[in-house]
Amino acid sequence: MRIVVGQGSCGIAAGAEKVRQALIKEGFTAPELTIAGCIGMCYLEPIVDIYDDNGDVKRLVKVSEMDAPKIAEYIRTGNIGLISDLLVSEEDAQFLKKQTRIALRRCGIINPEELADYEKADGYSALKKAVTEMTPEEVIEVIKTSGLAGRGGAGFPTWFKWNAARQAEGDEKYLICNADEGDPGAFMDRAVIESDPHNLIEGMLIGAYAIGAQNAVVYVRAEYPLAIKRLKRAIKQATEAGYLGSNIFGSDFSCNMTIKAGAGAFVCGEETALIESLEGHRGMPRLKPPFPAQSGFWRKPSNINNVETFANVGWIINNGGEAFAAMGTEGSKGTKVFAVTGKIKRSGLVEIPMGKTLRDVIFDIGGGIKDGKEFKAVQMGGPSGGCIPAELIDTVIDYKALGATGAIMGSGGMVVMDEGTCMVNMAKFFLDFTAKESCGKCVPCRIGTTRMLEILKRITDGNGKEGDIELLEELCYGIKDGSLCGLGQTAPNPVLTTIRYFRDEYEAHINSKNCPAGECSELIEYYIVPEKCKGCTLCARNCPVDAISGSVKTVHKIDTEKCIKCKKCYQSCKFDAIIKR
Amino acid sequence: MNYIKLTINGKEITAPEGSTVLEAARSAGIDIPTLCFDGSLEAYGGCGVCVVEAEGIPKLLRSCSAKISDGMVIHTESERVIKARKIAIELIMSAHDGDCIAPCQLACPANTDCQGYVGLIANGEFKEALKLIKTKIPLPASIGRVCPHPCEKACRRKKAEEPINIAQLKSFAADLDLKGESYLTEVKENTGKKVAVVGGGPGGLTAAYYLRTEGHEVTVYDMMDKMGGMLRYGIPEYRLPKKVLDSEIALIEKTGVKLCNNVKLGKDITLDALKTQNDAVILAPGAWKSSPMRVKGEELEGVYGGIDFLRSVIKENSVDIGKRVAVCGGGNTAMDACRTAVRLGAEEVYVIYRRTEAEMPAEEIEIKESKEEGVIYKFLTNPVEIHGEGGKVCGMTLQLMELGESDASGRRRPIPIEGKTEYIELDSVIMAIGQKLDTSDFGEITLNDRGNILVGENSFKTNIDGVFAIGDATNKGASIAIEAIGEADRCAKVVNAYLNGEKLSFTQPYLSKRDEDRVDVSDREFQPRTVAKVLEANYRRNCFDEVSLGLTAEEAQKEAQRCLECGCREYFKCRLLNVAQRYDINPERFAGEMPQEYTHDENAFIERNPAKCILCGLCVRSCRETEKLSVWGLLGRGFKTEVATSFSLPLDETKCTNCGLCVKLCPTGALAEKSALRKQVPLKEEYSLQSVTVDGLECRVIVASYAGKVLRVIPDNENARKIDRNKLNELFIK
Repeated sequence: MRIVVGQGSCGIAAGAEKVRQALIKEGFTAPELTIAGCIGMCYLEPIVDIYDDNGDVKRLVKVSEMDAPKIAEYIRTGNIGLISDLLVSEEDAQFLKKQTRIALRRCGIINPEELADYEKADGYSALKKAVTEMTPEEVIEVIKTSGLAGRGGAGFPTWFKWNAARQAEGDEKYLICNADEGDPGAFMDRAVIESDPHNLIEGMLIGAYAIGAQNAVVYVRAEYPLAIKRLKRAIKQATEAGYLGSNIFGSDFSCNMTIKAGAGAFVCGEETALIESLEGHRGMPRLKPPFPAQSGFWRKPSNINNVETFANVGWIINNGGEAFAAMGTEGSKGTKVFAVTGKIKRSGLVEIPMGKTLRDVIFDIGGGIKDGKEFKAVQMGGPSGGCIPAELIDTVIDYKALGATGAIMGSGGMVVMDEGTCMVNMAKFFLDFTAKESCGKCVPCRIGTTRMLEILKRITDGNGKEGDIELLEELCYGIKDGSLCGLGQTAPNPVLTTIRYFRDEYEAHINSKNCPAGECSELIEYYIVPEKCKGCTLCARNCPVDAISGSVKTVHKIDTEKCIKCKKCYQSCKFDAIIKR
Repeated sequence: MNYIKLTINGKEITAPEGSTVLEAARSAGIDIPTLCFDGSLEAYGGCGVCVVEAEGIPKLLRSCSAKISDGMVIHTESERVIKARKIAIELIMSAHDGDCIAPCQLACPANTDCQGYVGLIANGEFKEALKLIKTKIPLPASIGRVCPHPCEKACRRKKAEEPINIAQLKSFAADLDLKGESYLTEVKENTGKKVAVVGGGPGGLTAAYYLRTEGHEVTVYDMMDKMGGMLRYGIPEYRLPKKVLDSEIALIEKTGVKLCNNVKLGKDITLDALKTQNDAVILAPGAWKSSPMRVKGEELEGVYGGIDFLRSVIKENSVDIGKRVAVCGGGNTAMDACRTAVRLGAEEVYVIYRRTEAEMPAEEIEIKESKEEGVIYKFLTNPVEIHGEGGKVCGMTLQLMELGESDASGRRRPIPIEGKTEYIELDSVIMAIGQKLDTSDFGEITLNDRGNILVGENSFKTNIDGVFAIGDATNKGASIAIEAIGEADRCAKVVNAYLNGEKLSFTQPYLSKRDEDRVDVSDREFQPRTVAKVLEANYRRNCFDEVSLGLTAEEAQKEAQRCLECGCREYFKCRLLNVAQRYDINPERFAGEMPQEYTHDENAFIERNPAKCILCGLCVRSCRETEKLSVWGLLGRGFKTEVATSFSLPLDETKCTNCGLCVKLCPTGALAEKSALRKQVPLKEEYSLQSVTVDGLECRVIVASYAGKVLRVIPDNENARKIDRNKLNELFIK
């Protein structure tokens, strides 16, 4: 019997550590009581898995520390009735069952702090195979066969980068892992490092072997302390076990690994800016060419891949490139992890084969929209990505097909929006992010994004002018064309796609000073429908500025002059008598 | 070395392998603008201005870093390239907070470099100040006295207390020049071309002067017996003594301009004759007819037009206006008329004005001084009838008025109060309500619907080839003298081009201007304006002596010191402006927040204003890469990214050696070398490269001088940058 408490950052934030402490009080200790990383069902945290001796599992969800006595009692008595309210529902279980997990295959299952757990789950077998049975060229060939493409955003073929770095002249080469996961709403990289750090180390070592690097660096954002802690521990374990260091598996291949904590700049996800930062400079992109494969870290040939990319490598070596390539579409192979958030019923990490549709992710796995609202759009790829409207819900998950919509696969962030989301406001939100994160080097990005933001602000404030949409479009194309790096080149995407699919919403803001989604507070007012108001006084009591008048059992009225549009009345009314207009 | 063949703008060129597109283009004489590039530093790619298009490559290339390849086909001025550059420049300018030239100069219709000459006066460089003024105004002593100085209205010092006394500073410099050995401008060699100017007023004389300095033979014809036009016949002696005007006209004559008086066009000479005898004709006849008021009784004896009255007084010394005089109107001519009437001995002089004092277009000082002299103001009154006895004025009925809504000019409209009138007894009435062109003389010249000569706004062309027109007689009609002078200066350039067989039309090039709402002068110490002393009212009201006594040298220098130095020090060599003026840009459409505060920071050699910084990074990179000092660094992120000293210390507390490299590379006025002048002035310096040996090191320096005086010494090689700046300065700056 084993009790496993899911302890990724998200689980801990939801109270997993308190649950574990409560279970300790009930008398459970290691190895019986143990931890795992993140299973990816954010909306059900904290999660406790109870394995019986046959390996069957009872999954308990939304567990609180108060539940510990019940759980203890169940374990002693086997009375399932005690925990029936905690058992994951069949419907929720589908969230995982419908996924195909490769990168996340061990996440939430093994203990990320124990090397032995990893080894038991085939750990380091792929590295052994690569180093002892394959030449670096053969490794690159397998990766080429697999069709693995960069999972960080750009989707560049991994083998090509590896090959370029392998071919580059120089004895000293570097392999770098980009774990600067900066897209708001994306957290799959964190989940991999927190839940399966050795998988990243193994994938990186195979990459280092392939390109001939003696040094590997993981650039992790400093905002991921748990990931850094677990990765540090894993590097120490791997070094002690001989997986890292000199003559790995008795071969000529030697490699060290270090961690560099990033200082929190989004632009450091751009590979040349990341290198600048690694070298101790201000994180600003370099002009390309030369590409890092020729001149990267310390001007030596370097290869940079994202965490999720490396997380697939071990599996590919063990199962063969063909097995990976068997999944997906003509141009996009294998699986992709999505971090699904927003107005969706079941939020979390979803790994599915390429070729599935957005509908599969949002409705089949994610369960559709919360609170019975209508699905409006999904923002794919974070602030660099674009917005895909409801009518394109059947778009296939494929680099090319997603690109055609104006969005991108990106790192896999998916923010789901319902009818209550104003698309202009949404575009403003993402642009605000990129404008603040611009490194300041090139003019179109540094000044252009701020000018765009100013225009969007005036539109959502009801001060939009005729010609603003065209001005935005001109700026969008100017910034895309003129920016130095990916940050600027993609920053206009949320604006461009929302103009493309929701131009009427922009026009409504500008021409009729109206926000159709009812979200822009400058453009709406709250109104009490007299026919529906019961005179319960709840709204008046909730109003912080005494803008609502009316006595018991009489129709209430909002003084729009006083109203600060805090939404409290709207949320408190039990009779849906308060509307936005 | 291997050479590579490529095509740039249809031109086949070869360049060494490994060259950048920029290097290849420049070696072939093709100019690509750059802002953040300098050959001594690694390419940066920040400004986005150097982009070019290469056939077969979907993205625009940054020519500063993109390497050439065999058979490459490059376009450096394609539509897409220009569009990308324009948007980059517009964005840069939208976040560049600075004035290329000062508001005073922009407000001057003649574009006089006010900040320049005020600054020179502040430094005691009176002769240089006068020379600078004379590049725009050939009659500065006169204009300084009569000009309603739009420059002062735009002067930002008024936000602190009062504007700089620019007009009196001008006449100060000019008077000093007239008293001594007067400056005579150089005249180019004779071109053999002849120009006739009709009208010897400020416009005609100015056009004649500037065309003469270009080497043309110029004759000015004037119908009056002396030159000067309205300056002579429309401005009373107590404001502009005619001997001052005479001296200035004499200097114009000295350059070789021929002056012919008592010649009236249409009577003594025809336009056709002028045309055949000359290569070009400029009409500057002015507007000499007083506008009628259309009031009953206007034909009575004792009713005068404003300018007719002033002219009669000047020509005949006296006009019999009696003891009680009403002057109708609220402009400067009304002021001249009422104050002249006082001086003629009138006992009751009324100014009849239909609005209130606040709406009067006349200069405040004129109103003040006229009141001191005893003029009685009847505001909110309007003449309805002039009454006569025996054909002679005996009184006037005034309609009382009140102010209503604002009209198109922004002034409140006067409305009659029904049934309320007032009667005053009078001996004469002077109607100073406007003046018009006397159109009888112009034959085939096309007039506009106002009865003025119709000319092209910037071409000054009339309907007849070779005939140009300027001043009060054209388009919008009568205005102030400096307006005519500005037109004359521009027209002279157009005519000069015409005579050389070239085409020239004026378009205002782009200039960066600060948003007045952002201007903050609260840090300025209170310094009251210095105004020239005037004659006592009781004395001056009885004579035509000049009222103003003029500024003393001490007063002038003190006053000039007050200048806020709005215009950019680096205007004359600004690379940013040079790039900005290359295309027709409109940064206004991106107007928004400014990234940096408009501040001022300096040490002994360097001035700094981060608001003008465009973040090209040249200072940061040159200090790090070339000087290995890293005094500068980039701070912050996004729009607010700024160049800061290490730990944001004052420059003198950093490792800065004042080598001047960053300043030399700065493409804007964000970093500027201070000059040897006490009061810093933007001046069009001359630069020369010189070599000196200091401490055994061969030093190359750029020596910047103005009017033969060395103002700045800028190190130009590694050795020179190692030398103490004081040492270098001592070698050149006396």
